[in-house]
Amino acid sequence: MANTPEYNEWLEVATKQMKGKSPDTLTWKTPEGIDVKCLYTAADIEGMETVGSMPGMAPYARGPMATMYAGRPWTIRQYAGFSTAAESNAFYRRNLAAGQKGLSVAFDLATHRGYDSDNPRVAGDIGKAGVAIDSIEDMKILFDGIPLDKMSVSMTMNGAVIPILGMWIAAAEESGVKQEQLMGTIQNDILKEYLTRNTYIYPPTPSMRIVSDIMEFASQNMPKYNTISISGYHIMEAGADSVLQTAFTLADGVEYVRAAIASGMSVDTFAPRLSFFFGIGMNFFMDIAMLRAARFLWHRLMQQFNPENPKSSMLRTHCQTSGWSLTEQDPYNNVIRTTMEAMSAVLGGTQSLHTNSYDEAVCLPTDFSARIARNTQIIIQEESHVCKVADPLGGSYYIEYLTNQIVDEAQKIIDEIEEIGGMAKAIESGMPKMRIEESAARRQARIDQGSDVIVGVNKYRLEDEKLDFDILEVPDTVRTEQIDRINEIRKTRNEAECQACLEAVTKAAEGKGNLLEVAIAAAKARATVGEISDAMEKVFGRYVATTQCVSGAYSSEYAEADSESAQVIEDFRKRTGNFLEKTGRRPRILVTKMGQDGHDRGIKVVASSFADLGFDVDISPMFQTPDEAAKMAIENDVHIVGASSLAAGHKTLVPELIAKLKEQGAGEIGVVAGGVIPPSDYDFLYEAGTKAVFGPGTPITTSAGKVMDILEEQYLK
Amino acid sequence: MYKDPSYFIQGVLDHNRLLLARTITLIESTLQTHQDIARNVISELLPHTGKAVRLGITGVPGAGKSTFIESFGTMLTGLGYRVAVLAIDPSSTRSGGSILGDKTRMERLAVNDMAFIRPSPSGGSLGGVARKTRETMLLCEAAGFDVIIVETVGVGQSETTVASMVDFFLVLQISGAGDELQGIKKGVLEVADAIVVNKADGDNITRAKLAKKQYETALHLVTPSSPNWAPPVMTCSALEEKGLNEVWETITQHKKVMSATGELDEKRKEQALSWMWFLVKEGLETWFYNNEKIKDVLPGIRDSVETGKKAPTRAADELVSILGSDLLF
Ligand code: B12
Ligand SMILES: Nc1nc2c(ncn2[C@@H]2O[C@H](COP(=O)(O)OP(=O)(O)OP(=O)(O)O)[C@@H](O)[C@H]2O)c(=O)[nH]1
Ligand SMILES: [Mg+2]
Repeated sequence: MANTPEYNEWLEVATKQMKGKSPDTLTWKTPEGIDVKCLYTAADIEGMETVGSMPGMAPYARGPMATMYAGRPWTIRQYAGFSTAAESNAFYRRNLAAGQKGLSVAFDLATHRGYDSDNPRVAGDIGKAGVAIDSIEDMKILFDGIPLDKMSVSMTMNGAVIPILGMWIAAAEESGVKQEQLMGTIQNDILKEYLTRNTYIYPPTPSMRIVSDIMEFASQNMPKYNTISISGYHIMEAGADSVLQTAFTLADGVEYVRAAIASGMSVDTFAPRLSFFFGIGMNFFMDIAMLRAARFLWHRLMQQFNPENPKSSMLRTHCQTSGWSLTEQDPYNNVIRTTMEAMSAVLGGTQSLHTNSYDEAVCLPTDFSARIARNTQIIIQEESHVCKVADPLGGSYYIEYLTNQIVDEAQKIIDEIEEIGGMAKAIESGMPKMRIEESAARRQARIDQGSDVIVGVNKYRLEDEKLDFDILEVPDTVRTEQIDRINEIRKTRNEAECQACLEAVTKAAEGKGNLLEVAIAAAKARATVGEISDAMEKVFGRYVATTQCVSGAYSSEYAEADSESAQVIEDFRKRTGNFLEKTGRRPRILVTKMGQDGHDRGIKVVASSFADLGFDVDISPMFQTPDEAAKMAIENDVHIVGASSLAAGHKTLVPELIAKLKEQGAGEIGVVAGGVIPPSDYDFLYEAGTKAVFGPGTPITTSAGKVMDILEEQYLK
Repeated sequence: MYKDPSYFIQGVLDHNRLLLARTITLIESTLQTHQDIARNVISELLPHTGKAVRLGITGVPGAGKSTFIESFGTMLTGLGYRVAVLAIDPSSTRSGGSILGDKTRMERLAVNDMAFIRPSPSGGSLGGVARKTRETMLLCEAAGFDVIIVETVGVGQSETTVASMVDFFLVLQISGAGDELQGIKKGVLEVADAIVVNKADGDNITRAKLAKKQYETALHLVTPSSPNWAPPVMTCSALEEKGLNEVWETITQHKKVMSATGELDEKRKEQALSWMWFLVKEGLETWFYNNEKIKDVLPGIRDSVETGKKAPTRAADELVSILGSDLLF
């Protein structure tokens, strides 16, 4: 492309202002590997196939609706849930009264993983990170006073999707609402559970069958219901950049379409009900472009299935601002970050949106923090006038260029996945997870070095910070309350009928019956989430993840930066080397995740970077009990155990681990903890014997240094 | 670290999990003082060893070794055997540190009270691994384990090293996409007591059966290591827990035959001797490099060999004769 005279003139001026340096030196390579120049012109987007369409028309780069928000704004849909059904119900009703439009239910981790609240494996998890639901009775309390024929309800449920969706439908029916009236979305995206979210129960093959069963049931009985929400959000939050998020999400989508077609459905019966879910981070323009690119690519990808209904290849999406980008330090900054990200989602053309609260990195939202988060959207919608024009950034040279770049780069990865045999096979091969984790480790290294700036964390950090807001803490009594209710139900239900229904679930799992259909009956017969899950597990078995871990990414990010950074790593290696020389072995740490907490980004980053620094790092399987973690620590004879806890189980699980180690004569093995632990809990953990606590935003070099301090004190003195 | 050998000895003999773990740490230590205690501990425990089935398992990365051990080990504990697993992790990074994730693939076995799993960083030196693993195996026997399984990735020389310390060496294979054999080395075929084609499940069964035929043919071309044992080729699915019984039957059958013919005793005697020679070589090497005179002259001699001023044979002679002169005085 020839440069215009104007461009050449600009180049001259720019070079002069740069004191003779070429403006090319300002080019920024994004984490996605995209080169971003300091200026874009018409020449940059000439002839691009992604440019020039209309909103509401294929290939939908400019949005799925013709008038976009000018016609109707996006739905304000805040994701929430905690404690008991009654507490969550009250919270929902307050929020709806204050301007929220749709509901979005967050379940606790016991429910996600198909355990009843009385299961000893989940003692630390009940009601902590979402609402605890054990039976249809809980479900009815959860939606008490909320008209299910009018309210669109989104539920984030994947592993235990059969009992939970069954209970929701059954609860609606018992309150007089018919199946065909139900509106909303079930996440039901199992593939990304294996990849990042970790609330799977069964192995992939039976899980994919569950997905298809739900699509089939809804296509016949629930015409207004979205049967899947194909989610990139979790992939991004686990560490993926925007190209990886786009590629893996759409590849997941293609896999579901294939599964549904293979199970006998025709594409137009279900594809219009597929919905998506993207995560929006702090790269403002990139993520605007990402949504545009995703819509374009989905349209392209769907053509292989020859849909006749245009809606079959139209990507509609929910978005959530990034929780990962929010900090424990100087937390009111998070309001600003969330506003930026919300704008990005809106300018990218989302259909609904969740905005995070400023206390994201500390605890679940309180009424107050939830209000600010909700008002962020209301103000954009009602005060800022950004809704008046459809795709206001269409035609922007830079946005269009980025859109095109993401399309090209994501397509390459999708092609790679196709070569492996589709996303299910790719996940089996471990490729996507390793890419995401490598990206996360590199990100951590850039933050620790200060090359990716996070205000309040690695720049402009406050000295002497004190949290000055209320923290939502879910009391342990929720567990006893839930157990009481389960016992009550087991006493009062018709046991024979209930068992017959559970047998029908097992039969359906063995054969061809629709699992959702039999689960609705079981829910009505007062079977619990755990019982219905077990009835399927008998046939399907439980999935065990294979854990892989990247190595070298953290240190190589340092090495690539500059010699000063490289020296930081070298110095640390000398320190671990010295420990080896003096004690006869390297410092050995077991990193473990206890309870049903599936957040593994942090622990993977820690494991990978600690190994880079010269530690021997043992990783435990996920979902350990304190007893199991202690056994592993003892057999592997580690120096120290690091427990990573993000789902509010720390006050139960960490002291129990310490007790178990002592009980077995291994009191010498120290315990440190990390993750989302409110500063107000630190003293409690210290008193229980925890040697150190590392909250969000702790640089690896700092936590590793502290661990070495502890070990040197213990073994070198 | 504790200085008294009896602390370790008694702990192991008491079948104490914690002390077994600590004794393994002692064995693995790079400190001379620890090695001195370790030597004592091992010789005291030696009379209590020898009763377990020693099983080595190798295979290319991803063949399913860990998954196999998870399923197979769980089956064995179900039969009432106590199972110890030693996993040698080669994934040591440039930093010298390593990531030991084996137990994530052995989730059930890891929490099983009848089982003990110890992953060890290879720490770079293969010789080190060989010594540590052999001694660790003995510790586990003395601690009452009935079956000791050593997992090693089939890279470099590690398989043959492991083969030389176990009773039964099992090579885990997977079927390839085409009709070529999946990266099996001739040296491995020669020491295999059985080849098991794993992942014979789903749409892979036919391919696994085909691979079985091919390995059978390949095995015909090598001389079996024992006149009394023709290594069989089997298929299994570690994931679906199929064919594992047959593998165990083969191993017990092998033990029966080898015990009856006296070959097992012979093999263990040979292994003990080769272990001794291994240690002698290792000791000589340490002695050599620690010799003050050698330390003095080595850099100079190395230089002159590099620059071609001195022939390598001549240089070696000189170095060895320094040691010799040391002995005389
Ligand atoms: C990323 C994320 C996710 C991702 C997880 C992806 C993955 N594979 O890990 C996704 C989107 C899947 C997710 C899902 C959920 N999440 Co989430 N998530 C987060 C988020 C935004 C960031 C966590 C993170 O990865 N940070 C980056 C890593 C590198 O940091 P880190 O883990 O804190 O580790 C650092 C330090 O803490 C320390 N450290 C940590 N561990 C250790 C261990 C050792 C040994 C050492 C030395 C150091 C150390 O070093 C690290 C480097 O600095 C947090 C909020 C936040 N900003 O922290 C919420 C958060 C943890 N999630 C939350 C919830 C509730 C959930 C869900 C349960 C929601 C639901 N009901 O469905 C689900 C289910 C997840 C599950 N299976 O458990 C809540 C927990 C609430 C609470 N504690 O009370 C949080 C706090 C958000 C909130 N305020 O609501 N989540
Ligand atoms: N289909 C199938 N997959 C299996 C089987 N056994 C193992 N796998 C899978 O193969 C992958 C590798 O298994 P591992 O047990 O970790 O293999 P490994 O040989 O121990 O691997 P390294 O320790 O990395 O050398 C995992 O994804 C397993 O789930 C099997 O019998 N059938
Ligand atoms: Mg393995």
